[in-house]
Amino acid sequence: MLQQSTTEAAASRAFKPTDYKSELKPIWCPGCGDFGVLQGLYRALAAIGRPPHEVAFISGIGCSSRIPGYTTAYGFNSVHGRALPIAQGVKLANPELLVIVAGGDGDGFSIGGGHVAHAVRRNLNLTYLVMDNQVYGLTKGQLSPTSPRGLQTITSPLGSLEDPINPLLYLLAYGCGFVAQTTPADMPGMTAVIEQAIRYPGFSFVNIQSPCVTFGEDDQQLKVHKSSMKPLASLGHDSANLLGALDLARAYGTELHTGIFYQNPTPPPTYEALVKLRQADQAPRAVAREHILDAYLQK
Amino acid sequence: MIEDLIVGMAGSGGDGVVSAGESLLSAASSEGYHALMTKSFGSQIRGGESSCRVRLCTQKVFNPGSALDAAIALNWDDFLRFGAELPLSRGTVLIHEEKAGAPPAGVTGLAQAPTQIISVPISELAKKAASTEKAKTSVVLGLLSGWFGVPAHALSRGLQKKFGGKGEGLLEANEAALGAGIEYAKTHPLQQPKSLAPPAAKPGSKMLCDGNDLCAAGALFAGLKFFGGYPITPSTEVMQTLTKELWKYGGTVLQCEDEIASIGAAVGASFAGVKAMTSTSGPGMSLKTEIMGLASIAELPLVILNVQRGGPSTGVPTKPEQGDLFQAAFSAHGDVLRPILAPTCVADTFKITVEAFNIAEHYQTPVIILSDQEIAQRKETVDPIDTSKMVVEERLRPTAAQLEQYQRFALTDSGISPISHPGMLHGNYLGAGIEHNEAGDPTASGEMHARMNEKRFRKLEPLKSRTDLFEVAGDPKATLALVSWGSSAGVARETFELARAKGLPVKLLVPLLVYPVAETVYRDFFASVRAGLVVELSHQGQLYRILRMHLDLPRGLKSFARSGANPFRPTELLEQLAALHQ
Repeated sequence: MLQQSTTEAAASRAFKPTDYKSELKPIWCPGCGDFGVLQGLYRALAAIGRPPHEVAFISGIGCSSRIPGYTTAYGFNSVHGRALPIAQGVKLANPELLVIVAGGDGDGFSIGGGHVAHAVRRNLNLTYLVMDNQVYGLTKGQLSPTSPRGLQTITSPLGSLEDPINPLLYLLAYGCGFVAQTTPADMPGMTAVIEQAIRYPGFSFVNIQSPCVTFGEDDQQLKVHKSSMKPLASLGHDSANLLGALDLARAYGTELHTGIFYQNPTPPPTYEALVKLRQADQAPRAVAREHILDAYLQK
Repeated sequence: MIEDLIVGMAGSGGDGVVSAGESLLSAASSEGYHALMTKSFGSQIRGGESSCRVRLCTQKVFNPGSALDAAIALNWDDFLRFGAELPLSRGTVLIHEEKAGAPPAGVTGLAQAPTQIISVPISELAKKAASTEKAKTSVVLGLLSGWFGVPAHALSRGLQKKFGGKGEGLLEANEAALGAGIEYAKTHPLQQPKSLAPPAAKPGSKMLCDGNDLCAAGALFAGLKFFGGYPITPSTEVMQTLTKELWKYGGTVLQCEDEIASIGAAVGASFAGVKAMTSTSGPGMSLKTEIMGLASIAELPLVILNVQRGGPSTGVPTKPEQGDLFQAAFSAHGDVLRPILAPTCVADTFKITVEAFNIAEHYQTPVIILSDQEIAQRKETVDPIDTSKMVVEERLRPTAAQLEQYQRFALTDSGISPISHPGMLHGNYLGAGIEHNEAGDPTASGEMHARMNEKRFRKLEPLKSRTDLFEVAGDPKATLALVSWGSSAGVARETFELARAKGLPVKLLVPLLVYPVAETVYRDFFASVRAGLVVELSHQGQLYRILRMHLDLPRGLKSFARSGANPFRPTELLEQLAALHQ
């Protein structure tokens, strides 16, 4: 750990946001919220200062899941809904890596919804960025798990009959130690929140309201966010107050609260830290490769 | 004197027949016999019927054998439920609990009904000797010792191991019950006595384990560092073993929330640069197939174990079937090839597992190990495995020069591109399920897709020349062929020996590499063949059909296949083969 923070200190002087920018041109529509997220992420990564080759950026499938390719980090644009399990494998194989997971609301809360609770309860030191736009953009505008009731899309031409899920309440209820919401309309705020999420020593979650300029609702665009967002700090919310966070999170879908809902003031040990202890404890019992089969010899 | 003794026992869950089978196995193996035991259960969590069959032999054997020499029925209902696993013949000595009453029509009505059916007051003997009926399986062991010459001192040592230090006179009670069984056998001699000859091997020179044990051991030997799993019968023991062992070697076992997450985490670990594995059985395999496709296109090494059971769906989860070959070869989406290896016995599961890792790492591909319930859960004596010459391969890493202008998916002559991993300076790339160019950047170009597909197939071509992954035996000019894979191959091996002893012009081919089909190996083998059998435990005969896809087979080569949970017997295969020769 000490060694790592020394590297961080040394490196933080060395990296600029552009060092994390790849040469690939995003496929996103002009005006997409994800451009802003990408800019904020470059800045947050530069502030953290880990060299790009020590960053593993894992995503699923969707517009926002393209994001790893637009960074110079090691990226893995995997399959729909499975970014979290894949990222856990990456982190457990090499806990020294900085592992970031990204995807959309459909990827994270529909097809991959079953993985979220388990990623949270295992508490690996991962940062999960969901670019929530309440619609399936890559497949051209279908209903998503965070679409509001009544939304008309090409798969709900007569209006959705379902309530959206509430990602903030889910994550808080699962026991996530760091839950925040932000929007690219607030670049400095978003950058700060992403940086804090990465620095949180455990599983952290940031719901980024990243509007779909093509299929999204007019009242969900960045311009509207600028006036509608309510920084939690301005409401006097204390991010160590879990019950307060749960109460505020209920307003998801009606209010755009930004900032940190909850940050565990006494983070528990991460999964990989416990793994390390177990490995150290068990290592003396290892036998040389040629003796592995001896355990089965009949004496 | 007999060289080979096959004992089958059935009872209710609480009777301890499996435990008695284990005692018999352990006693025989410590004496130097080759011994193997298969178990069958109903699907109940506890209780219900259970059975085991133990084959003891002075020489090495490859399968559970044909009809039983000795059958023990603690009650008739349970015994009859295992008709296929506990086959009787005229020569079987059928011993039954007196209290169970006379043998039912299901036994006496058989065409091959045993001529010696012996009623023994087993529980009564146990009660008299040990003051509890619970010791009845020790009485049974005594009977087997007295009637069939299983060494009494070895059985007694087995009881000491099992009950010693458990207190309350448990050991003494069971020893008394064992003695009562031996005594009863002495005073009631068999009409046609059978006694097991001394073993060929020295005592204490063998391992005792099952296929799942050796799969886990093989993975450790190969340098596994990450295992993602989810419980499913009959593969769970692999995860259970690794979760005790892998930490010692700096690795991690993650029991995941589902089958998809378990292969996902393994793929992630492989992307991060370590050897990774997941295991499952048929239904779990279905769930994993999407990510198998990801591992193929992202060219990530990965070992996937499928311990086959009866299917589809829940099917017959506690019994073997070889019905997942099509699934392994063809189930994932897209135009892709995944190597499939199949162990044929407990012992070669170790080698096959190490080989699976080697192929996965060398060729940067998912590799499927197709085991099955019989091999996976059959406890067997195994000769010590010489690992000193076994090679463990590592994936090809980029050199410093290659990293200067690194291209993760460089189109090389071999099709194998040096692979970096997160943490490696200048090796940064985008891994993806999306088609990519040499640098790893996404592309929808038809030309690039064709070149990458060609690369992914080309790199696996050399596998087809791996003649060491095929067992070929017999006269090269023989006109009769036996081809078999997986656990059925053990039966084919014995049939082959029996057929040769009978003077049939037979040869044997057992592929350990089941897919891709090594056309040349088969063509060479079939050149002299006029007729033969492809033996496998599935209704369709899946290997036979795959071979027909790839080859022109000899006209007289037939599929000999049937549904799982109906194990083949060497004697029936021999009859089929002899008929083909006429």
